[in-house]
Amino acid sequence: MQKILSLLLLGCGLLLAQPPSGIAIRNARIVTGSGPILQKGTVVLRNGLIDAVGENVTIPTDAWVINGEGMTVYPGLIDALSTIGITDAAATPGSARPAATPGAPAATVSRGPEDRPLTTSWLKAADLINTTDRRIESARNQGFTSAITWPRRGIFAGQGAVINLAGDKSNDMIIVPSTGQYLALVNGGFGAGYPASLMGSISYIRQIYVDADRYARIKKQYADNPRGLNRPEYDRALEGVLESQRLLLPANRRVEITRMISFSKELKRPTVLYGLQEGYLALDALQAAGLPVLINLKWPEKAREVDPENIESLKVLEVRDKAATTPAELAKKGVKFAFYADGIDQPADILKAVRKAMQAGLSEADALKAMTITPAEIFGFADRLGSIEKGKIGNLVVTKGGIFDEKPAIQHVFIDGVKYDPAPDTQTPAAAGARATGGGKEQEQQ
Amino acid sequence: MKKFFVSFTLAASLAFAAANDTFLVRNITVHPVTGPKLDNASVLVVDGKISEVGAKVTAPKGVKIIEGKGLHIYPGMINSATEVGMSEIGSIRETSDTGELGEFNPQLRSSIAVNPSSEHIPVTRANGITAVITLPGGGSTENRGFAFGALNPVIVGQSALMHLDGWTWEEMELKRTAAIQMKFPTIQMLSPRAMMMDLPGAFPRNTFAEAKKSYDRRIQAMHEFFEQARRYQKGKESKQPGLRRDLKFEAMIPVLEGKTPLMIVATRNRTIRDAIEFGQKEKIKIILAGLEQLGDNAAKIKELNIPVILGETLTLPSSEDDPYDSTAALPGLLHKAGIKFAFGTFDTQFARNLPYQAATAVAYGLPYEEALKSVTINAAEIWGVADQIGSIEKGKWADLIITDGDPLETNTQIKQMFIKGKAVDLSSRHTKLFEKYMSRQ
Amino acid sequence: MKRFLTALALSAALASAETFVIQNATVWTMAKGKFTGSVVVKDGKIEQVGEKVMVPQGAKIIDAGGQHLIPGIIDAHSHIAAEAINEGSVSVSSMASIDDVLNPEDIAIYRALAGGVTTANILHGSANSIGGQTVITKMRWGTDAKTMLFEGGRPGIKFALGENPKRAGNAAVNVGGTPRPQRYPATRMGVEDVIRQAFIDAREYQRTWEEYKTKAANGERVVEPKRDLKLEPLVEILEGRRDVHAHCYRADEILMLLRVADEFGFKIRTLQHVLEGYKVAKEIAAHGAGASTFSDWWSYKVEAFDAIPYNAAIMHKKGVLVSLNSDSAELMRHLNTEAAKVMKYGGVSEEDALAMVTINPAKQLKIENRVGSIEPGKDADLVLYDKNPLSNYAKVQKVWIDGKMYFEREKDLADRAAREARKKGLLEKEKAAAPVQKKDGAAPRRGGPAE
Repeated sequence: MQKILSLLLLGCGLLLAQPPSGIAIRNARIVTGSGPILQKGTVVLRNGLIDAVGENVTIPTDAWVINGEGMTVYPGLIDALSTIGITDAAATPGSARPAATPGAPAATVSRGPEDRPLTTSWLKAADLINTTDRRIESARNQGFTSAITWPRRGIFAGQGAVINLAGDKSNDMIIVPSTGQYLALVNGGFGAGYPASLMGSISYIRQIYVDADRYARIKKQYADNPRGLNRPEYDRALEGVLESQRLLLPANRRVEITRMISFSKELKRPTVLYGLQEGYLALDALQAAGLPVLINLKWPEKAREVDPENIESLKVLEVRDKAATTPAELAKKGVKFAFYADGIDQPADILKAVRKAMQAGLSEADALKAMTITPAEIFGFADRLGSIEKGKIGNLVVTKGGIFDEKPAIQHVFIDGVKYDPAPDTQTPAAAGARATGGGKEQEQQ
Repeated sequence: MKKFFVSFTLAASLAFAAANDTFLVRNITVHPVTGPKLDNASVLVVDGKISEVGAKVTAPKGVKIIEGKGLHIYPGMINSATEVGMSEIGSIRETSDTGELGEFNPQLRSSIAVNPSSEHIPVTRANGITAVITLPGGGSTENRGFAFGALNPVIVGQSALMHLDGWTWEEMELKRTAAIQMKFPTIQMLSPRAMMMDLPGAFPRNTFAEAKKSYDRRIQAMHEFFEQARRYQKGKESKQPGLRRDLKFEAMIPVLEGKTPLMIVATRNRTIRDAIEFGQKEKIKIILAGLEQLGDNAAKIKELNIPVILGETLTLPSSEDDPYDSTAALPGLLHKAGIKFAFGTFDTQFARNLPYQAATAVAYGLPYEEALKSVTINAAEIWGVADQIGSIEKGKWADLIITDGDPLETNTQIKQMFIKGKAVDLSSRHTKLFEKYMSRQ
Repeated sequence: MKRFLTALALSAALASAETFVIQNATVWTMAKGKFTGSVVVKDGKIEQVGEKVMVPQGAKIIDAGGQHLIPGIIDAHSHIAAEAINEGSVSVSSMASIDDVLNPEDIAIYRALAGGVTTANILHGSANSIGGQTVITKMRWGTDAKTMLFEGGRPGIKFALGENPKRAGNAAVNVGGTPRPQRYPATRMGVEDVIRQAFIDAREYQRTWEEYKTKAANGERVVEPKRDLKLEPLVEILEGRRDVHAHCYRADEILMLLRVADEFGFKIRTLQHVLEGYKVAKEIAAHGAGASTFSDWWSYKVEAFDAIPYNAAIMHKKGVLVSLNSDSAELMRHLNTEAAKVMKYGGVSEEDALAMVTINPAKQLKIENRVGSIEPGKDADLVLYDKNPLSNYAKVQKVWIDGKMYFEREKDLADRAAREARKKGLLEKEKAAAPVQKKDGAAPRRGGPAE
């Protein structure tokens, strides 16, 4: 069924291979994200890029024109940490433990760091993209045009990629093929050997970076002059680590935040922290550290189906009450933060979660930044994406009313200059996650 | 049963009458516990029983005299929840005889599994404890849904009150069935399978609704068991022809008759509440044991006059938000609420530390006299043996300790101990090893 | 960041740099006897101690009303404030470190404070013959992990002998159809073997690096050896830069470890638990190891069946430096009365008993120049008890660390109602905010902005 569908879509794409030479959205409110808001402006998309933006823009004669009156145009939203597009079993939890060395049998019980447990540092999200992942469309229907997507299995899970949330082939979707290494502090689980604890995981990561630095040095030494030296033994795990210098470290609770800040210093590599729901408790430390952070929008909530007589601790209640103040507090401190939606099942709940942070004091402008220009800056692709500027990739969201309104009405989504309209009822929470198809590419504007 | 007990004590007193269980302790500070302390007083023991207490006691001719100058005499202490004699080495299952398989086992008798030569007996005794309750189900933990592969142990057997002296368990028995021990079920969010393997997380959790349903079912099963026992009782009373003797139901009859209390281990608010409700519905006498909190049950416990056996005061608060001293303050709260209680340690290893548990409660609000009573007379009253032990009063067994000070203080030394008037050896595996290795050059 | 933290710590110290005098206290100095007098605290340090002192101008006066002032209690064996205890997957887990997993928010820290503990040695668990790295901490509740660390505290490492490390190697247990992996060692012989082999490896590692450095210094073209974070702590032990805290029970294994240490030329800093230490007290004293034991734990496993409450007293009398530890978040709260048990069992004097939870563990951890007694120049880590600290009726009233008040019973009692109210408020707020369950299918799909 799925196969048939993608064939159909493919056929469609071939038939209508000629897109309009340009699209202009006229008389719209334009939130550029880089300069002031244009109350009545025009954006022109051509050749997949933003060709022009401003209040007095001449619309090319051959462009399709969209009347933007009553609408707002935003830069396309970016989810800074997700697994969208990755359906490959090797990169998602529950799959068999991969071998550290190609060809070697998967070790079931790791005896130490030398077995490179829970490591697939060489895996690239860019190589794993599956265009049929239904989440691509449902995220798009909520205004997301890009995501940074990561293999998420193990300690050294692999390398993230910046992707656009539309494309016939996965290659079309890739914006940045490798943008860092995703690290998690997990253990092998019962009976799986080293590491079996948080302590063990941290010591393992430390050893890997010590090994990687040496590996780089001896490889260089050998490349400079191999004579008389034994060749360095090839190590796929270290290769993967070396080719992804930026690392993502998990830091949700205050204690994890301070712990990972010092760990980052020790590892001496560009670091992005993710989680951060207790960030409001570690403001000074975060400000002093100067690390960019990714905030999980899945705010902690009371678990359902629990014993009503089991009263949670004051600490838990306070975090639940205050977690959503983190973005506003970090904004005050000038800490660079982006949002991600890990764990939010219904895409429609993502913007709802952002609104919660806004109710806790986050300005609309800062909220938008956290889903547009800031993730682009953090991962180094702000020259291509993240704001509505001439020459950038043509990723836009057009809404009736504001995107942060309680019931945002997303009219059009543009990715690489191509227009996608959310299909009917994809915006109701129940339908968004469950729908298989619909809301496909529209090549024509009536 | 009762008949048996009476004839047994008779036989015992005859056997010991000629032995050295007649003596006078004089010039000692007597702490009868049930009355004010008497300075420079005497205690006369005849045939193992306290015969006279007071400032002026005339000793029969030739009686052995113990000089008590500068010392104190107290009733021996009672630890109201232990595994003493039933478990030797904690980690070795083979040395433990608590926790039988099966759901309803009221017929199991803990006293017959008490090993009179357990090393724990002299060790426990050395700190002034002369009698203990032995728990067939062990520990103070609630019913967590399984134990050693047996799901749902609920009624775990008969708790006995045992003297810590005797050649056989029979000689040690003060009361064979002091109570029937029940471990009240709890709401288990984890499946029993996950708990058994100690692998929380590896198995899906029950939803609260599911867990509550299974909890309710288990309570229903308990009621059904009681119902069956009642039918058996009626059948027996009416001499129903062909009624087969059933050990389980037979053991329940004294509970149904209100003669033997059901000692229900229930630690937290809901379980305590439900345990009380269970007892009310079944119209039986209950004792609550192992409480970690009072919850909202204080008034009810007081109203129904339910005695309580408290566990360790030296234990951690049960939740993060509890005041740091909540466990130590709990006995004081019970006292304020007018609830009668005694202390137990619910184990073997630390049974000897009973007095320090009581003393800690004093630091955090329990009046000293109450603390002392809770390890002596209150325990005797709760177990229905206040006519035999628990204070220094005429007619009671001479379960006595002579000390150089307050027996609830750690540094106090127990100088001598008498159980049923018989001087008990205070040496133990510990003192013997001490002497042996102190002498190593 | 580090600089920032130091600044923080500094400002904390400044905030606490109040000068105050505790007067009319029964002062247990643990150095020069016990007397009724005063202690002057300035800049977080003890400035004067005596029956009569010079009260500095502007100093705050605290009248102790005859209550008992002792140095902060030191627990040489604790596992609180750590988010992981064991890296049990390997027989040598020296690469793992408690330092990486300290949790300054563990409520056990506050409870330990309320029991008079101001310093604790936080140890890795006992699943491995050679376990993970350990850290000495002060119970600075409310600060962060780095601030909790005892400044200049010597790095440590946990060893473990006997049943615990060999248990992981015992016969496979079938769990859910998967046989549990067997891990060497499964016997006390194997435990010794693992330790000896590890030190042979460490020496080899040390030699490899020395050779490399020499050659590299001579300009030879050599390949840099691998760094092994498992062996480096062992090299530090060999070089006297890391202290061994060894979990042990039986006399045979205690002696074994002392001899292995002799073989490789290092000292065992402390023997932990050391429940049969009384049988080999002479050998322990000769080696110079400290012994950190339980007061009266016994019979919970086979190797604890010869444990006796006289252990501390015998070792003490035979010249071993003895401390009492908790190994438990609960026991940690009343180490003072654990010390009283040493008076009861074996007749150790009151002050020698209290020394076992103050100055003795300080010496064992080599921090006695800073803590463990009330003497001028030492950290103002002080505990005020309402009664004799060796009495079961004594309660901690106030605790200072570095001259800063970290626990005060009156304040704790006074704050309870406010905390309760705060919690109630949050619960009510959450209840009020809970979404009302209603069907919402009629939302406009492409409608305008909602009001």
